[in-house]
Amino acid sequence: MSRYLLKRLLLAVPVLLGVSIVVFTMIRLIPGDPALLMAGQAATEEVVRQIRQSLGLDRPIVVQYAYFIRNIAHGDLGRSLFNGAAVTEELGQRFPRTARLALAAILVALLIGVPAGILSATRHLSWVDTFFMVLALAGVSMPVFWLGLNLILIFAVRLQWLPAIGHETWKHLILPAFTLGAASAAIIARMTRSAMLEVLRHDYVRTARAKGVAESSVISRHALRNALIPVVTVVGLQLGTLLSGAVLTESVFAWPGVGRLLVDAVLARDYPVIQGAVLLIATMFVLLNVVVDMAYAVLDPRIRYE
Amino acid sequence: MAVLKRLFPVLLAVTVAAILVLPSFAQQTGGTLIIGRGADSVTLSYYATAAPDSEVLAHIAETLFRLTPDGKIVPHLAESHSLSADGRTMTIKLRRGIRFTDGTPFDATAVKWNLDFFRNPANRIQFQFLVSEVTSVDVVDSNTVRISSGRAFVPLLAHLTHDFIGMHSPAAVERAGGMQAPVGMPYGRAPVGTGPYVLKEWVRGDRLVLERNPNYWGPNKPALDQIVWRVIPDDGARVLALESGQIQVAVRVPPRDTSRLVLNRDIRVDRTSSLRTIYMAFNNQRRPFTDARVRQAFNYAVNKRAIVQTILGGAARVSDAPIAPGIVGYAPVMTYAYDINKAKQLLTEAGFPQGLNVTIHHPSGRYVQDAAVAAAVQAQLRDAGINARLVTMEWATYLQVTNRPVEQTDIEMFMLGWGTVTGDADYGLYSLFHSSQWAPGGSSRFFYKNTQVDGLLDQARAITDPARRAATYKQAMGIIMQDAPWLFLHSESQITALRRDVQGLIVHPTERVLAYNARVGR
Repeated sequence: MSRYLLKRLLLAVPVLLGVSIVVFTMIRLIPGDPALLMAGQAATEEVVRQIRQSLGLDRPIVVQYAYFIRNIAHGDLGRSLFNGAAVTEELGQRFPRTARLALAAILVALLIGVPAGILSATRHLSWVDTFFMVLALAGVSMPVFWLGLNLILIFAVRLQWLPAIGHETWKHLILPAFTLGAASAAIIARMTRSAMLEVLRHDYVRTARAKGVAESSVISRHALRNALIPVVTVVGLQLGTLLSGAVLTESVFAWPGVGRLLVDAVLARDYPVIQGAVLLIATMFVLLNVVVDMAYAVLDPRIRYE
Repeated sequence: MAVLKRLFPVLLAVTVAAILVLPSFAQQTGGTLIIGRGADSVTLSYYATAAPDSEVLAHIAETLFRLTPDGKIVPHLAESHSLSADGRTMTIKLRRGIRFTDGTPFDATAVKWNLDFFRNPANRIQFQFLVSEVTSVDVVDSNTVRISSGRAFVPLLAHLTHDFIGMHSPAAVERAGGMQAPVGMPYGRAPVGTGPYVLKEWVRGDRLVLERNPNYWGPNKPALDQIVWRVIPDDGARVLALESGQIQVAVRVPPRDTSRLVLNRDIRVDRTSSLRTIYMAFNNQRRPFTDARVRQAFNYAVNKRAIVQTILGGAARVSDAPIAPGIVGYAPVMTYAYDINKAKQLLTEAGFPQGLNVTIHHPSGRYVQDAAVAAAVQAQLRDAGINARLVTMEWATYLQVTNRPVEQTDIEMFMLGWGTVTGDADYGLYSLFHSSQWAPGGSSRFFYKNTQVDGLLDQARAITDPARRAATYKQAMGIIMQDAPWLFLHSESQITALRRDVQGLIVHPTERVLAYNARVGR
């Protein structure tokens, strides 16, 4: 298992190298000149040229890439073109905030989605099943900013129970976690329902019931563990997406995370920040994939990695 | 003694009443003012380029002169100034006894250092052109500075009110490791000036905190303990944060929210005109817009008043000049009446009796309701037989696409805004309407050329008599409005919402929120 783990981690290196080449090239191909953006509408061509030169953007793209890779080898992701802040420092400040929000959102999604999926599956085609599936449809269809603004209106403005914006305390986490977790809860509920319905049809479940095992034990000890494998896959993917930052939620709740940083960097053509953030997100996805694979082995003893 | 005994209860009652009543008349001091805005500052140095930078700098690094909200220029760090008869030399007397917050003296040497740094082309400061006419800055004595220009450049006084040319402590710049192009780091993270507030904390993308300077030199001592700017990118969330009481000021309130906010007794809505003019420019060197009759026809075909009332909720002012009121040199010149028949007549005279097709480029989300305004213009032009196709793109691409030289661009018509942040007509008119300022070398992306206007704008730069200068600008603007190089639209209003216990906040036409005289009531 540890050899497998090491092999997976080593394979991550060419993956991340490929990602770096793609993002490095793509952002320089799209229209928009960061030097012109920095100079502003009123600046002269000469000022724009000087800015471009001082940022090293007039060098050939291959040379720029070589500098980029050399700096990464020293743990340096460069400096923001726009405010001069070190990219590692910016990401270092923002990623923990994004991680906190993502983990809280996944927790909300699991706490709502898994029980909802189980209830739907065990009361298949009943009004309970219909209720939760309609709720899931609503959860996946609702625009995040609409849900977020309404939650702020109700809980922060009208009831004054929770703060409207910010990230300082656990109270600040509740509304954005719920906003972000709603869509994930819907997806997890539907996946749990499908997986449970599949598992509940198996002979060993019928056998357990025939032996007189309590229904709650049938669900929790026999069926759920096997149904969780596809759910774990979905959770892993959802967590990866959330860790890449949820820009709409971050904008509505003024949560200064990686999502907002990345979108602002793209709009500003802040190349070092875009490159650094995308590499971080790619690394997260790679690591999460490994964690999900390890979780399979824990859930299903038949799965062994050599 | 007996008299005193009889009077004592009365005196006691009066004293107690005074204690209870008088504090409500006393100036409230202390407390924290939290302002919600959509974007963070980038750099607090000479490399600042936008309002989020300048409004913070206004509290830290003060300017020699200030532009009041009603358009007057008053001395601030300067005590007085005089101009030589030929307009080429400005002598400035500085106030005495002022120190930067790091203890170093604010004097003529410091002013010379600041102005020399700003105007040095090697430092590549984006707004260096504000003082590009200056040839030398000399120290006459410890509190007198002489600024010499190669030719008379009257706008210089207005330019010296610009927050981008605030006075920084030279010692602090050196201690910090310098102000390096292109963003002014590392100094730009922690500026030191003479202002009523000092930087306490700056968490990028989140909050910027100033705290009171207890040794402030000015007569209006800072009343607040802290001023906090919080970044809340979403307009709706910013308003909700204000309604919940989590912030006390929300800037750039959407027009659609004002009708709800005015009903809230805890909130006050402030509308202040902005110095930003929104327009749709024609490519004046490309047919059919080489013909003034076509350009005028477009102006007659669009109902600007309806756009202001319905799309902008009244939070704008139809343009009656190429620059907005409040700018030195502004004068109301003319508006184009909404007249479809006149528009069709002009198009017919110009050889387009069946109308014509045009492509209009516009940004989305850059200016207030920009996309909606463009759609309204498109709909109204249709009535005059003009079929407009709208093209939008995000700002970075838009800026690049509209910045091409005249021989390379295929843009026919495009929307932009211009904020005359110096408060002087020269910046609003010369930069855009002088034929030497065509993009990409200059700021004029619509390639207007009128030699009479060029001559008037050149003259106005050197006229020291304010009345004559104003008359020259009025004459130039009259020609520009007749020539119609733009579809003239409106100047924006800033809608700011405040909690009622906030007093003394200035919403400046230069799109800065200034809290140095603000108080929060208890």
